Amino acid sequence: MAGRRNGLAVLVEALRTWLIPYRYGLERWSYTLQRISGVVITLYFVAHIVETGYVVGGPSVWTIRPDAQQYAERVWTETIKFLSNPLFDAGLAIIGFFVAFHTINGIRLFLAHFGWGLGRPTRPEPMHRPQSMSPIQRALFWASIAFAVFALVYTIDAFFGVLA
Amino acid sequence: MSGASEVLLRVYRYNPSNSGKPHYQNYRVPTFRGMTVLDALIYIKENLDPTLSIRYSCRMASCGSCGMTINGLPRLACFTQISELKSKYILVQPLRNLPVIKDLVADLDEFFNKHRLVKPYLIRRDVEEQENPREQYRQSDEELERYVQFAYCIKCALCYSACPVVSTDKNFPGPQALAQLYRYYIDTRDEASEERIRIVNNAHGIWRCHFADSCSQVCPKGVDPALAIQLMRREMMFGPSRG
Repeated sequence: MAGRRNGLAVLVEALRTWLIPYRYGLERWSYTLQRISGVVITLYFVAHIVETGYVVGGPSVWTIRPDAQQYAERVWTETIKFLSNPLFDAGLAIIGFFVAFHTINGIRLFLAHFGWGLGRPTRPEPMHRPQSMSPIQRALFWASIAFAVFALVYTIDAFFGVLA
Repeated sequence: MSGASEVLLRVYRYNPSNSGKPHYQNYRVPTFRGMTVLDALIYIKENLDPTLSIRYSCRMASCGSCGMTINGLPRLACFTQISELKSKYILVQPLRNLPVIKDLVADLDEFFNKHRLVKPYLIRRDVEEQENPREQYRQSDEELERYVQFAYCIKCALCYSACPVVSTDKNFPGPQALAQLYRYYIDTRDEASEERIRIVNNAHGIWRCHFADSCSQVCPKGVDPALAIQLMRREMMFGPSRG
């Protein structure tokens, strides 16, 4: 039976369903962006912990070294030098966009799950528009996009001084 | 339509008794004003290829039999005019998230099993009353308006096919079943609120919905399952609101 697929096919189908939001309207874009931003923020968080752990000396931080102060200063300087390039700066700007979007859109979803800001059930007429994506929901989605763009511009300016 | 006198239909073909490998077949179909995708498929079956399998019945968006994926979106073939697609090329595939029986016919067993799971009927505490009702159950217009939108469901499975959560979690009941759960939960004649909550109050149940709203976008009857699911969640978090 064609429906009995192997694991890889299921994964491909799942990713296709997650990551191809067009044709389904605004809320599906919101869903896809929320998932992508969630995954990116999680990966960033892991990388941030690794980086911070490296700066403070990794597992050796639990052992008092005689040259602890000098060691920490050297590792800190090396790490900052390694991270100080336009590629990481641009990455942080994108992280800024995703964090801002995920936060505001997450609050919108949080409220929607409480049933707040949704329309009331109505008898559907021809050309019916779903009340689940009410004007309030749409406004909040666009507010999250606007906030995310602001964060993106702000971080780009902070790193590259484009607005100066 | 866009000036075309014929369209090219690229149709998904799959026959389990044959090689078992899905493939696509192209058909050129002459069009007429008001022609639907179902009309085009019937034309193929009658004139070009009688081996093509399709499922349909009422041809007027009432029975929900002819659901399929048309140009990437779950739609009813009888409710989709070729002119509205604004293309001379139409890709027709079976509904997603469901196994395929043959060609464009999806197996709806799991869909109906999930519908059955939420007990889509009125339940009375009094068993004798349940089996042999003695009187009419009166409702005000306001009480009716709370659920009547969700009673428009024709069980076409378009919402189930559009749901991104169903594609990754086969234990998720899906938008149709959850909307019907709310439809009976909020009905003042029903007396099984706690039982209905127990059915979906788990990790694969109502909390699994991510509010992608695709179900509501594709529903041909305007049922808005996403709204029903969020309202049901509110009921479960803050307690019954029906009076």
